Amino acid sequence: MRLAFILSEIGSGLRRNLSMVVSVILVTFVSLTFVGAAGMLQMQINQMKGYWYDKVQVAIFLCSEGSTAPGCASGPVTPEQQQGLNALLESPAVSQYINDFQFESKDEAYKHFKDQFSNSPIVDSVTPDQLPASFRINMKDPEKYQIISETFSSQPGVETVIDQRQLLERLFSVMNGASLVAVGIAGVMIVCAILLIATTIRLSAFSRRRETGIMRLVGASKTVIQLPFILEGVIAAVIGAALASGTLWAVAQFFLGDYMSRQYPDTAFISSGQTLILAPALLILGGSLAGISSLLTLRRYLRV
Amino acid sequence: MIRFENVTKVYDQKARPALDSVNLEIDRGEFAFLVGASGSGKSTFLRLVLKEDRATSGAVYVAGQNVAKISSWRVPRLRRGIGVVFQDFRLLPQKNVFANVAFAMQVIGKSRSVIRDTVPEVLKTVGLEGKEHRMPHELSGGEQQRVAIARAVVNRPGILLADEPTGNLDPTTSMGIMGVLDKINQNGTTVVMATHDDDIVNEMRKRVVELKNGVVIRDEARALYTSMIPVVGQSRRLKDASGRESPDGGLPGKGAEGEAQR
Ligand SMILES: Nc1ncnc2c1ncn2[C@@H]1O[C@H](COP(=O)(O)OP(=O)(O)OP(=O)(O)O)[C@@H](O)[C@H]1O
Ligand SMILES: [Mg+2]
Repeated sequence: MRLAFILSEIGSGLRRNLSMVVSVILVTFVSLTFVGAAGMLQMQINQMKGYWYDKVQVAIFLCSEGSTAPGCASGPVTPEQQQGLNALLESPAVSQYINDFQFESKDEAYKHFKDQFSNSPIVDSVTPDQLPASFRINMKDPEKYQIISETFSSQPGVETVIDQRQLLERLFSVMNGASLVAVGIAGVMIVCAILLIATTIRLSAFSRRRETGIMRLVGASKTVIQLPFILEGVIAAVIGAALASGTLWAVAQFFLGDYMSRQYPDTAFISSGQTLILAPALLILGGSLAGISSLLTLRRYLRV
Repeated sequence: MIRFENVTKVYDQKARPALDSVNLEIDRGEFAFLVGASGSGKSTFLRLVLKEDRATSGAVYVAGQNVAKISSWRVPRLRRGIGVVFQDFRLLPQKNVFANVAFAMQVIGKSRSVIRDTVPEVLKTVGLEGKEHRMPHELSGGEQQRVAIARAVVNRPGILLADEPTGNLDPTTSMGIMGVLDKINQNGTTVVMATHDDDIVNEMRKRVVELKNGVVIRDEARALYTSMIPVVGQSRRLKDASGRESPDGGLPGKGAEGEAQR
């Protein structure tokens, strides 16, 4: 009975200041969309880093069938050539520059590729043979990339030497910058959302002061008096958070999944499913922001 | 039921206290009028009983409990034991009579079936049967006050506080309301009523506590509104106003014979 009563109170409260409730929904929607966009950018960065990015800086790709590089004229890398490269990496001339290195076989390369491109149709058209084996090198000083490149580029069986940091670092710094901007906007918008929720709750408490006054006099508990107001804010904020989650999902599904991955087939994009892990965070964030701000407002404006 | 021990209430340090060392005991089942000029502290007295305000010094006991010792989350329980009625009725305009009374039960979690049984019963007690579905604006002032009384007593409080409940009503209607309050009192509820309405006090002949500037200057059983002035002029007004509704069967004007004894 008390639950039914509280629910009907919430319903009438939401109806009574519908326009305020709609603005709370929209403001939390926009602010949490920015929060989520920052999260998505970070997820996208991780996605593009793939398996090796944080572990090594330089990759030496070995010749495979169909390699067209000049060093691969004699066909795919032979076990002897591979042995020779391994020995060279361990020789004092080279090993003084590197912390350690690892060999990635074709099969391992395929596995890592599959993980990284799991959301992309490209994964079905690639077989282990098409992917080169590689040495992955963790540099003592990444700036010394040139030395490795000069030493290995001309070695037999080497297709190419890549400094993968150089490839992605600029892009990542742009994306990190964008994340920061998104977080900044989100911060301002969240302040707006909190103030708006506080104002809404205050108006709501004011417009229902007659009811709450009577509730107080007949001995309704603090919970029964306050909960409808708090839930009113929380429900509005949670609806906003749900809209934000839906928007992020749609961006991942339609913009990244359908459009961008067709434009840039060799880039790994996050899947729409991955964005759903942001949803609970956004819902909790929105709900607790509203809950806390309405609780604080009520402490000042609603006698119980 | 209600006991004030040396209670002083100061709202404003610079002003005189609203209540000044008040000692008073109101027994279970008693009917007491609280009279005195505007600003004498009647409403303050009632607010202290409800723990709407804290006494500056002294102790207020309600049903044997020192209200200062009741923790804030237990205050609702204290208030469930006290019904309150005001001069301005304080009904919810968008709810009908039934819903207004039911509201007091809903918010403390009474079940639908209990509400369905109790509300009509209480409406009958206050003389409103058949008007369950009227909206407040479709009722006269007296009827609205009856709804407010029904709401105040629907949870069967041991105490009913009334702050000038007849202040907005004409004399005849007022006497009707007094009849309702008297009936509730007969059922065992302690009633404390603050009022300026001398006719009513003189008619009812109940205990009268008079406050002046926050001090109790008179406390008499079966008393009149004022002990100072002969109430010759009032008897006619009372006669016109009350008709034959006098609850104790006393003739209007009887009070003019003199002051109550104590
Ligand atoms: N909330 C308050 N803050 C400050 N002073 C107050 C407050 N409430 C009452 N007072 C003062 O306390 C004194 C007693 O007020 P109270 O309302 O108890 O009088 P009353 O007897 O009920 O008067 P009335 O017959 O006009 O209702 C008055 O001087 C009033 O100004
Ligand atoms: Mg008053």
